[in-house]
Amino acid sequence: MSVLAKGTYFWRSAAQGVRHAPFVHFIAVVTIAIALFTAGMARGLWQLLDSLIATLGGQVELTVYLDQAAAGWRAEEVAQALRSQSGLDAHVVPPEEAMARLKLQLGELGSALDGLPENPLPRTVELTIPAGQRTPEQMKALAEQARALPGVTAVDYGEEAVQRLSSIASAARAGGLLASLVVAIATIVIVSATLQLAIYSRREEIEIQKLVGATDRFVKAPFLIEGVLQGLLGALCAAGGLWAFAAFAGPPLQSLFSFLLGPHGGPQLVTAGLVAELFGAGAALGLCGSFVAVGRFLRV
Amino acid sequence: MDGGPAQPMIQLFHVYKAYPGDPPSLSDINLTIGKGEFVFLTGPSGAGKTTLLKLIMCAEKATRGQILVGGRNIARIRESAVPYLRRNVGVVFQDFKLLPHRTVADNVAFTLDVLGVPRAECRERVMRMLKQVGLDHKASSLPLRLSGGEQQRVVIARALVNDPTILLADEPTGNLDPALTLEIMDLLNDVNVRGATVVVATHDATLLERLGHRTLRLERGRVVSDEDGIKAARRMAAG
Repeated sequence: MSVLAKGTYFWRSAAQGVRHAPFVHFIAVVTIAIALFTAGMARGLWQLLDSLIATLGGQVELTVYLDQAAAGWRAEEVAQALRSQSGLDAHVVPPEEAMARLKLQLGELGSALDGLPENPLPRTVELTIPAGQRTPEQMKALAEQARALPGVTAVDYGEEAVQRLSSIASAARAGGLLASLVVAIATIVIVSATLQLAIYSRREEIEIQKLVGATDRFVKAPFLIEGVLQGLLGALCAAGGLWAFAAFAGPPLQSLFSFLLGPHGGPQLVTAGLVAELFGAGAALGLCGSFVAVGRFLRV
Repeated sequence: MDGGPAQPMIQLFHVYKAYPGDPPSLSDINLTIGKGEFVFLTGPSGAGKTTLLKLIMCAEKATRGQILVGGRNIARIRESAVPYLRRNVGVVFQDFKLLPHRTVADNVAFTLDVLGVPRAECRERVMRMLKQVGLDHKASSLPLRLSGGEQQRVVIARALVNDPTILLADEPTGNLDPALTLEIMDLLNDVNVRGATVVVATHDATLLERLGHRTLRLERGRVVSDEDGIKAARRMAAG
C-alpha cells in the first residue's frame, strides 16, 4: 500500500517537475531525440550495408575465361573437371549468352553492340560458390586449380569487391559506435545539466521534504523518473522522425538505388525491434543523465 | 504539565555548538524536557534558541555533547536514520517554508506523502487537520493568498498532520498581531493537551506570562534560567 502510494507520488511529482520547467525539459527531450534519431539512421545504414553485402555475396561466383578459339567441347571438359575437383556446380556460358547478358546490362546502349563484326566474348565456365566456402584461401585455391586446366586464359572472382565492402561496413560500424558513444556522453551531460536546473528550481521543496522526514531515496526518485520520462519522450520523437523519414524519403531513395538493392529493396528502417531499442536507449540515457545530476548536485 | 517531567523526551548533556570562525552558539547546555511538557525557549536574538531547535530536529550536528530524543542518542545517529527520527518531530518555522505554487492541502499533505500514505487517506487526514486549524475552506487556495496568521496555521497543520510526539516551533508568532498570536498559541496548547511535547522559541514576554509554562532563558549560548513563565516574564520586564 505504502509502496504503491510512494510510486504514485514519485510519478506525479516527476510529471509536475516536467510541467513546472517545460523549457528545460524540452531541451533535454530534443537532445535525446536528436541523439536517438542519429543512432537510428546509423543503424539503418549498417543494415543497408549488411544487406548489400548479402546481395553481392549471393552472386559470388568464379568465372573461368577460355581461349577465344576454345570449342564447346573444351569448355564442357573444363566444367566437368571443375565439378569433379571442387564438387560445386559449374556451367558453360557460350559467347552468345554472354553477349545477351552484356546487352541487358548496358540497357539502351546495348544496341551499339549490334554493329560489331563478330562476337568478341570468349566462352566461359561459371562456378557458383556456396556461402560457407567463400573464404579468401578457398577462393584462391579454386582459382589456381582452374588456371591449371588446359585452354583457360584467366580466372576472376568478385570476392575482392565483397571484402572491400565488408571492410567499409566494419569501418562504418566502428566509426558509428564511436560516434554513438560520443553522442551518448554529450547527451548525458546535457540531460544532467537540465536536471541540475530542475533540482535548483526545487531546492525549497527538497529542503522541506528533508525536514519532514524524507529519505535521500525519496527525494532523488522523482528526478530519476524525470530523466526516464525525458528519455522516453525523446525516443518517441526519434521514432516519429525515423518513421517520417522512412515514409517520405524512403521510396525515392529505394528507387534511386534499386540496381544495388534488388527487386525487394533494402531493409525496413523502422521496425518494432528498433522502436523498442529506441525506447530502451532513451530511458537509459535519461536515467544516466539524471543519475549524474542527482549524484553531483543533490547533496541531501 | 507543570508538575515536573515524569519521563524525559528531550535530554541534552554538555552540548556545544560552534561554527568555524564564530564564537560558540551553544555552550555546555544541560537540560531535560519531559514527555508531554510545554516549554518556552526565550532570550535575545542570537542567544542560540534556533540553533538549539535545529540540534533537536537533527538539522545541525552538535560539536560536542550528547542529545537524547525519545531515548535515542542523536549525536551518534547514522545519517540514514535521521529521516525516520524527523517523522516524529513536527516543526513550525518562523518563515513558514510553504511551497507557493502548491495549494494549502498539498502543502499539508507533504508530510504524509513522505510516509507513503495512500491518496484517499491522505486527503481525509489533511481535511481533518485543516478543519482543526480552521482552514478547511481554504484547502484549494495558494499560500500567498492567505494572511500571515492563516499561513502560520497551515504550517502548524503540516507539522501536526502526522501526529508527531514532539512539536518544535521557532518564533511561531513572530510576524503576527496579538489576536493572531493568541489564536496560534491556543492551537499549540491544544496539541500539548493531546500529549505532544511542545518546545516554542519566542522572545514575546506577554506569551510567557499569559501561558505560564516552563521557560528556559538562553543568553550567549548558555541556559541562564529555568523557571515558570510568570517569573521569566517579570525578570524580562525588570531587566
